[in-house]
Amino acid sequence: MKTTEIAIIGAGPAGLSCAVEAAKAGAKVTLLDENLKPGGQLFKQIHKFFGSREHQAGTRGFRIGEQLLKETEELGVEVLLNAAVYGIYENKTLAYVKDGKDHALRAERIVIAAGASENALSFPGCTLPGVMGAGAAQTMINVHRVLPGKKILMVGSGNVGLIVSYQLMQAGAEVKALIEAAPQIGGYGVHAAKIRRAGVPIYVSTTIKEALGTEAVEGVVIHSLDEKWQPIPGTERTLDVDTICLAVGLSPLTELAWMAGCEFTFIPPLGGHVPIHDENMETTLPGIYVAGDITGVEEASSAMEEGRLAGVASAESLGYYDEDTAKRLKDEIWQRLNSLRTGPFGEGRFKAKIKQLQARRQLA
Amino acid sequence: MQTSDVVIIGGGVVGCSIAYHLGKRGIPTHVIEKDDIAMGTSGACDKAVLLQSKNPGIHLELALKSVKMFPELQKSLDTDIEFLNHGCMIVIQNENQWKVMEGFVERQKKLGLDVKLLDKNEARDRQPALSEDILGSTYSPMDCEANPIYLTLGLYRGAKKHGVKFSLGTKVTGIKLEKGRIKSVETDSGEILCKYVVNATGVYAPTIGRMVGLNIPIVPRRGQIIITEPVPKLIHGGLNCARYITAKFRPELLGTDEMAKLGVGLALGQTENGNLLIGGTREFVGFNKTTTHKALKAILKHAASIVPAIKNVHVIRSFAGLRPYTPDGLPILGEVPEVPGFIMAAGHEGDGIALSAITGRIISEVIADGKPSDDLNIDMTKLSLDRFKNVDVNEFRESHNCYSFAS
Repeated sequence: MKTTEIAIIGAGPAGLSCAVEAAKAGAKVTLLDENLKPGGQLFKQIHKFFGSREHQAGTRGFRIGEQLLKETEELGVEVLLNAAVYGIYENKTLAYVKDGKDHALRAERIVIAAGASENALSFPGCTLPGVMGAGAAQTMINVHRVLPGKKILMVGSGNVGLIVSYQLMQAGAEVKALIEAAPQIGGYGVHAAKIRRAGVPIYVSTTIKEALGTEAVEGVVIHSLDEKWQPIPGTERTLDVDTICLAVGLSPLTELAWMAGCEFTFIPPLGGHVPIHDENMETTLPGIYVAGDITGVEEASSAMEEGRLAGVASAESLGYYDEDTAKRLKDEIWQRLNSLRTGPFGEGRFKAKIKQLQARRQLA
Repeated sequence: MQTSDVVIIGGGVVGCSIAYHLGKRGIPTHVIEKDDIAMGTSGACDKAVLLQSKNPGIHLELALKSVKMFPELQKSLDTDIEFLNHGCMIVIQNENQWKVMEGFVERQKKLGLDVKLLDKNEARDRQPALSEDILGSTYSPMDCEANPIYLTLGLYRGAKKHGVKFSLGTKVTGIKLEKGRIKSVETDSGEILCKYVVNATGVYAPTIGRMVGLNIPIVPRRGQIIITEPVPKLIHGGLNCARYITAKFRPELLGTDEMAKLGVGLALGQTENGNLLIGGTREFVGFNKTTTHKALKAILKHAASIVPAIKNVHVIRSFAGLRPYTPDGLPILGEVPEVPGFIMAAGHEGDGIALSAITGRIISEVIADGKPSDDLNIDMTKLSLDRFKNVDVNEFRESHNCYSFAS
């Protein structure tokens, strides 16, 4: 059976950063991803990142991805693409399908950095072609250069909804409206202002009543919600759209962690059920780590820091760092992580992450 | 304190079937279940209701009587239990298997099972997905299928309709005796006074038995099962293989290779949605309910040697269930004379679904009338706990890798 020291599942921002740190320490690293290209969501992020200079603020997401890929190559990380990990079995053995064949890989440490998946929304007509996740639409335009539709309704005003609306316009689509069920916009004001200046109406306290069409989306009926989130009769209006993009949050992709037997805790601000982990990103199962959106949905910068943390900690546990060096490196990462979790948007995540760490201590 | 004539411990298919029958007779009954309905073995098995897989003898007699009760259940329960009488084939892959199955079929026929041997062409006519490399098969039109979870739920709802009480998420912590007789059942949410306790806890039966000083010879035998994506109609009725029968009754005949160690034998069926259920293994690994990469690969390899089309179907899920195994492969049914009022209804191994109906009837009659009715004509001594009085239970447990009592 094929063996490695550290197997990392998912080559997105968290997995790549983890691979770089662990390989830098000297560990033998194998990175697996089910996609044909590594990078996760980074390569569709054509916008500039926020935050401080140490978080590469001002750099576009795909450039960060290119940099990380280059580093993994230089450090000799083994990257297995088109390799879908479907199970974690006894003795830290991963089973994966690559190029249609079944393989097994036995690792001394496993880092699960599987990311998150887009939430769906149910409404009459929600299975019509033309209803899709906003992230999927973003992949189509920015990675595959295919326009999903010409007339778009965006549902959800978080940063994903706001940024993808703008990028759809850049790609040549018309965004007819952006609707938000809550009474206020969810994402950054600067993103919202940008699409308002471009003339896109944003309707808050509004949701979808139904999608129209028989073979594909031919229109949509939206209506307003009262303060109890109940539809107000008579407020229906029909928009002429051929595509409905759903940006209604993400859920951690936790299946592998469940299957491995990790213990979970329920923290709604992080996306629901998330694996419990300690300050080293180690789960309740010794030698199995998590990093990135699987630990709770945040954004790419914190995913990268969590990946680095898991990389340093797993390498340390294999003896590649002495305690002092590891502590210094981990302290630096924690400082940066904490600084990412500040401000009106970061505060809630900061508290939620503290709760997750407390869950670990309560078990101990 | 609550009172009930009967307390049934266990809300699996056996416990629910007994509850349903007792409810119909109007006997006050209370079911205690530590998790939820069909959360254990009854929710982790395949959909076969087989007669052919039963040993000719009392095992097959019980199954024949049980399966006869299913059409009536399908009619009278509010839940569609997806009962179908589509028949089943047991595929034969070599001469040795042919000889064994020939004898098996002859003995089954004598007990009234409609079963015959088919040559390769007849078998492939009936089941076109079969490989060209098979030698033949058996076929019985009497074999059936049912949805085990709906069956359990249907019996649960039926029992409730007849006034049976259920306490789900409730754990039994002890059983009290008075002058050697059952007095009450203690749970984590109170005590229930009762005359009878029915131990229908499958693989956990030894834990309950210990509460009244009984050492019950039941050990968990793990079965791993694979579910595929839905595909157009591929399998007609049920499909098993001769290895499955051998693994069940005479595993030592399978040899010593990896497949044999895992007890791999084919149990294949297709749901109405089109998903294939592919089993399975028979392993003694204590209470470990995880699936293993090795076993899943072995199951698929074996299945593909019989139905080659399986190679091109995607697997979407896998799971394992623990079957309650006894030293002779028969369930333990009836009152235990040493503990008056304590009734066993466990140890059905992989036959719990098929035997659930008759078990419900037998146990309800034991409680209501003191014994099963004469028309059933069942020799209860062959099913009693007493038949194992010369078995070294601790040795039996340890030799089957069972070193703990699960709670």
